[in-house]
Amino acid sequence: MTYVISAPPHKKERIDIQKLNMGKIIALIPLCLVAIYFFGVPAIQLIITTVLAAVITELGIQKIFKQKVTIGDGHAALIGLMLALLIPPEAPLWIPVFGGFFAIAFGKHVFGGIGSYIFSPVLVSWIFMRSAWATHMTALSLPNTGQLSDLILESGAGMLVDVSPIALIAGLYLIHKRYIEWRIPVSFFATIVLIPQTLLFLSGVYGLIQHGVLNPLMYLSQLFAFLSISPELPYAMVGVLFFGIIFLATDTPTTPVTKNGRLIYGMLCGLLVFIYGYFGNYVEGTLYGIFLASCVSSFIEMNTRPTSYGNASFIERIYGRIKAKVPESLKFEVIK
Amino acid sequence: MEIKTLDILPEKVIIPLKQHIGAVCDPIVKKGDRVLVGQKIGQSEEYVSSAVHSSVCGEVIAIEQCANPDGNKVMSVVIQPEQSDERVEFSSSQSLSSDELADIIKDCGIVEHYGAPTHAVLRPKGKKIDIVLINATSSEWIGGKYKNPEEYAYQMMDALKLLMKTSGASKGAIVLRTDDRESIEAFDGIKVDNRRIVVAPLVGGRKLDYYYKEQGSDVVVVSQKRIYGKKILNFFTYNVTGRKVGSGCDPTDVGVAICGVKSAKALYDVVHSGKPYYETVVSLEGVDGKTDHIQVKIGTLFKDIIEACGYNGKIGKIIANGVRTGVAQYTDQVPVTKGTTRITLQKPEHVLIDESTHCIHCARCVDVCTVELLPSRIAVMADKGQFDECRKLHIENCIECGDCAAVCPSRIHILQFIRYAKQSIGLAYEGVPSESASGPKAGSACGGE
Repeated sequence: MTYVISAPPHKKERIDIQKLNMGKIIALIPLCLVAIYFFGVPAIQLIITTVLAAVITELGIQKIFKQKVTIGDGHAALIGLMLALLIPPEAPLWIPVFGGFFAIAFGKHVFGGIGSYIFSPVLVSWIFMRSAWATHMTALSLPNTGQLSDLILESGAGMLVDVSPIALIAGLYLIHKRYIEWRIPVSFFATIVLIPQTLLFLSGVYGLIQHGVLNPLMYLSQLFAFLSISPELPYAMVGVLFFGIIFLATDTPTTPVTKNGRLIYGMLCGLLVFIYGYFGNYVEGTLYGIFLASCVSSFIEMNTRPTSYGNASFIERIYGRIKAKVPESLKFEVIK
Repeated sequence: MEIKTLDILPEKVIIPLKQHIGAVCDPIVKKGDRVLVGQKIGQSEEYVSSAVHSSVCGEVIAIEQCANPDGNKVMSVVIQPEQSDERVEFSSSQSLSSDELADIIKDCGIVEHYGAPTHAVLRPKGKKIDIVLINATSSEWIGGKYKNPEEYAYQMMDALKLLMKTSGASKGAIVLRTDDRESIEAFDGIKVDNRRIVVAPLVGGRKLDYYYKEQGSDVVVVSQKRIYGKKILNFFTYNVTGRKVGSGCDPTDVGVAICGVKSAKALYDVVHSGKPYYETVVSLEGVDGKTDHIQVKIGTLFKDIIEACGYNGKIGKIIANGVRTGVAQYTDQVPVTKGTTRITLQKPEHVLIDESTHCIHCARCVDVCTVELLPSRIAVMADKGQFDECRKLHIENCIECGDCAAVCPSRIHILQFIRYAKQSIGLAYEGVPSESASGPKAGSACGGE
């Protein structure tokens, strides 16, 4: 009898790239259905054209450069679908065609294909088109009203993705099944919520100082600001933000791989999105913020490399970093 | 746990002359000789080596290169057994001195499951051992036949004392697994030297030293999380005693000797009945997921064990020593050796045939890593041949558990990349004195807290 020989491990988890991508696509289907219901035929056209453009571009590129064709893994389709959700339904049909092409060709394959790009192809394409054809890429309305019901059905949705934040609930299941790692979404969301609340608290304290209040209890009582919702917060809770948190910020090649690095990356995303959103709007702020954060992701990764057994304390780590910067000639040691 | 005994007369048994790390034994029998159960058939003058005994009574039909579960061929003695249990006289020898014990260990062929001869672990040349650990985290009951849990616990305590006596260490500990209730209950409450044993968990900063002080004793029983892997010893030492083992060193450098349950039981048997190490217990994990524990004679072929357990369907893969890090066998004509703990069978349709694709940096490997490494980055560096970068990423801490490769959605052979890099680093610094500034031990001598 003959036996198979191969290198260990001989038993592996049943997970592969195709499964990861398909999981994300399936999680986005409820949102697509809601969007189609509200926007009608243009939404269907938009989704189908972008996905087709992306898949055909990938097929073409891989055929021309004689690479292995990988359209079966669903990555191109996922990019196309995510991009379609970020285009206003009023846009002419050549916009999604170009968008799908640009995302795959210039967002993904220019950098070397899956796993090699440094910016999410979706954002690369979106930002290019937003700069090139601002009139077509500007949605007719911006979702920014502050009612709770807007989380279920957005009244002022401009893009497909804004139509219903609650339809993204399948993303939580993905996080639970570890298709998406929890660190970035959690720290991203926490930052987005905590910054406005902290500002509310600080402005309260600042007001007390201006009035010359001396009673420390009064200052303490400002902590209750964390219980009341900051007026800024409802503006932030738009569909595209949740979409960004769950699907765009967690695009794995653009994020650091270290555990702490991912937490920091999420916070940075939150901070950048907040800054843009505070002065502009959260719809574009989310996309630009995540794009900017991925610029520094490898920098974050290099600085959060775990130490031996990962057990160095914070002070040890700072000491080690300073020690590494001291030039060799200045070091001296006791000779045994 | 039920342990069956394999009671068949096989066609032949193959006893490799090297079942340990170190020198190959020279055969002391010839073709055509009749050997008895327990008769010594191979020995070596080298210190790091261990004697080999016949496990059956029969005729030596060949001394030749035979397949070994490690995957390579080893000079082995092939014996055709006969229907007889004639054996050499075993003499129990109690109240021995430390030196005599060490000699007996070598003479009776006791080796650790990771390969090192036990006497070389306990009394390494030029090093001093002060703590002896029995690692009972992975093979808790497997290692011998016991009437009941208490007997297991008492025998282990006795064996620990023998091991401590051999090495001259003042302290010892038995390490159990936290989720292994059966063993913990066996040890909890037994009395040794008029002192009740309490199984203490290793949590947070509480390492062995803490419990030695707290329990006011030199012998403690502790429990810890399950960890497994091929190169587990350094991490295990750090986890249990808090002593960091520098790269390129082994636990004996910091004064820690790690023994397994099997070798402890073997030593106990040698001292109490004089029986050398020629029987061992292996787990057979069948195609239907059922696991049997079988006591077999060393040298029994895998084929005989599989047949005796009644698996006669088609087998796609035979794996020795576990699905994570074990070696797939190309033939079933390989013998059980002292280092064999587990045989796993896989159906042809369950055999994985994977193709590596690009890393998508999903960091799953980082999340599962027990020792906080960045396996994906190390794999990239190893692939490019940048081994110094690998060292900066603490590749030497890797315990080779294979978890990273098992969860990889891109099916990258991370474990093999890491092994390759480790081997290359080892070769690059072979012969370089450890004091040299660029060697793997640079900056940190072996040991330290």
